[in-house]
Amino acid sequence: MLKYTIRRLLGMIPMLILISIVVFSLAKLMPGDSLSGEIDPNNTDPQYIAEMREKLGYNEPLPVQYFNWITGFVQGDFGKSTKYKRPAFDVIMEKVPNTLFLGVMSLIITYILAFMMGMYSGRKPYTLGDNAIAGINYIMLAIPSFVAAVFAIYFFAFNLNWFPFGGSVDILVETGSAEYYLSRLHHVLLPALVLGAMSTASYTQFLRNDIIENSRKDFVRTARAKGTPMKKIYNIHILRNSIIPLVTFLGFDFAALIGGAIITETIFTYPGIGMLFLDSVTTRDYPTLMALTMLLSFLTLAGNLIADLLYGVVDPRIRLE
Amino acid sequence: MASSNTLTQQQKPERSLSPWQIARKKFLHNKLAMISTVFIFIVTALSFAAPFLAPFLSPIPDVSRVNIGSMNIPPNGEHILGTDKSGRDVLTRLFYGGRISLLVGFSATLMVITLGTLVGSIAGFFGGLVDNILMRFTDFVLNFPFLVFVIVLNTILRDTIDGVSVLILVIGVLSWGGVARLVRSKVLAEKENEYVLAALSIGCSPFKVIRKHLLPNVMSTIIVQATLIFASMIVVESALSYLGFGVPQSVPSWGNMLSSANEPDVLQGKPWIWMPPALILTLTILSINFIGEGLKDALNPKSLR
Repeated sequence: MLKYTIRRLLGMIPMLILISIVVFSLAKLMPGDSLSGEIDPNNTDPQYIAEMREKLGYNEPLPVQYFNWITGFVQGDFGKSTKYKRPAFDVIMEKVPNTLFLGVMSLIITYILAFMMGMYSGRKPYTLGDNAIAGINYIMLAIPSFVAAVFAIYFFAFNLNWFPFGGSVDILVETGSAEYYLSRLHHVLLPALVLGAMSTASYTQFLRNDIIENSRKDFVRTARAKGTPMKKIYNIHILRNSIIPLVTFLGFDFAALIGGAIITETIFTYPGIGMLFLDSVTTRDYPTLMALTMLLSFLTLAGNLIADLLYGVVDPRIRLE
Repeated sequence: MASSNTLTQQQKPERSLSPWQIARKKFLHNKLAMISTVFIFIVTALSFAAPFLAPFLSPIPDVSRVNIGSMNIPPNGEHILGTDKSGRDVLTRLFYGGRISLLVGFSATLMVITLGTLVGSIAGFFGGLVDNILMRFTDFVLNFPFLVFVIVLNTILRDTIDGVSVLILVIGVLSWGGVARLVRSKVLAEKENEYVLAALSIGCSPFKVIRKHLLPNVMSTIIVQATLIFASMIVVESALSYLGFGVPQSVPSWGNMLSSANEPDVLQGKPWIWMPPALILTLTILSINFIGEGLKDALNPKSLR
């Protein structure tokens, strides 16, 4: 396993370099100074721009520029945000906890719902309850996340007043108090539910089919013959076998959450890195945009790596390939 | 005379159904898939007939102009689904919007399938170094966070060429990886068969073998995949347009129509503006998914139905 992990980690390095080259090229294609953000976009004096370009090393050959940028980047120098006039690193790090909180909550909700629905459906397949769950799942898979978000805000926030329709915390409560944390939780629930809807549906269907398949296997017959209660067979014997393949989805979820967060955070005006990303596009804050692009690419790559590693844990044959 | 007639009939052996005929029969018997097909057909027909239908649908058939006199009218006899904040008839825009959404979805799917099949079949057939290079490249493309790069690329390119083609191009270039992997794995399995060896040994060129022998055999997988991709491409288009990074705001699309729900006032108080596109979008995706499931069932020789 260690050998496999090291091999996968080493395999990531060329990918990282290639992605950084692509991001660098995109940044160069963007108008203005999109890497450092040091040149004031409102100052159009040609002499000032020429001086700044010389000072920032923009007249060097491209490979040298790339090298300077990437060495700065790995040391946490993401350039300066043109909108906030602060290092992009600080701007981004401020929003990271919010997105992490949203992602973790979304995963928790996904797992709880999927396990409840999947175990019920798997235990009682082809019943009314199973069909109802399958119907809900079909709709959850088909409805685009932004449409789900709009409907969720309309029904749960505006008509029923159960949840707030935006933001990450009530501005009136004191930071650090118990109320503050409750308010944060209250704000994150609806976006997390919407963000997790699609994976909830696919987890449920997967778990259901796997439980049905496992329940026909010999070890279940043996357990029944020995007099084990059905409840115990389903909750322990079968579930343990069905969870294993589900584990591998976690890595892919990680990557899917990143794309989902951009949409969900923006609709719910939840201040995380997804919303910051879209904001930086509309306000033409290119240094922040490029730093985020790089960061999100890394995260996606890390997600895929986790998926691969978990796959290796679950299925030892993969390691030998 | 009559006996000779029966004789000729007997001599002609009854032809068994071809795989495609079996698939068609199975599909026609799948109620859900057939209802979905009819629904998609109606939506497509209405969308593409929009310019001709518009004069009959509302007193103001022109949806490209702002009509100050008729803003935010709730549904009534004159405007069946009401008008939006710029005074444009919602029903007429819905049809026009379908045109762009379906067109973008279809073109992007076509591009994704073409690129993916090309890369996948070449990699799978030739194997070795070619396979290695092409698949590493595919991994590379698959490792990009899709939405992030679509938005960044679209921002860079959108001023240079017209918005709709840029969107199709960008989506297409970034999402063929999955198809390539799938086609490759199918071709890898299929090329082990003797008929491929036979074709090669009588001197068929590799590309002819791929085109005439391998692709028809992986076609069923590609068709099912194309259906599912079509649905996801429509979602991508509308999501991007909703966020303001898809087709230009001046072009009506379901996503653009939905973006009016960004204003709390419209979202809360004027549901007739955003609900029709939301519903038709969801129903379209649902129908396409059902068609995909139906096709998967119909094209699978092992399925019982």
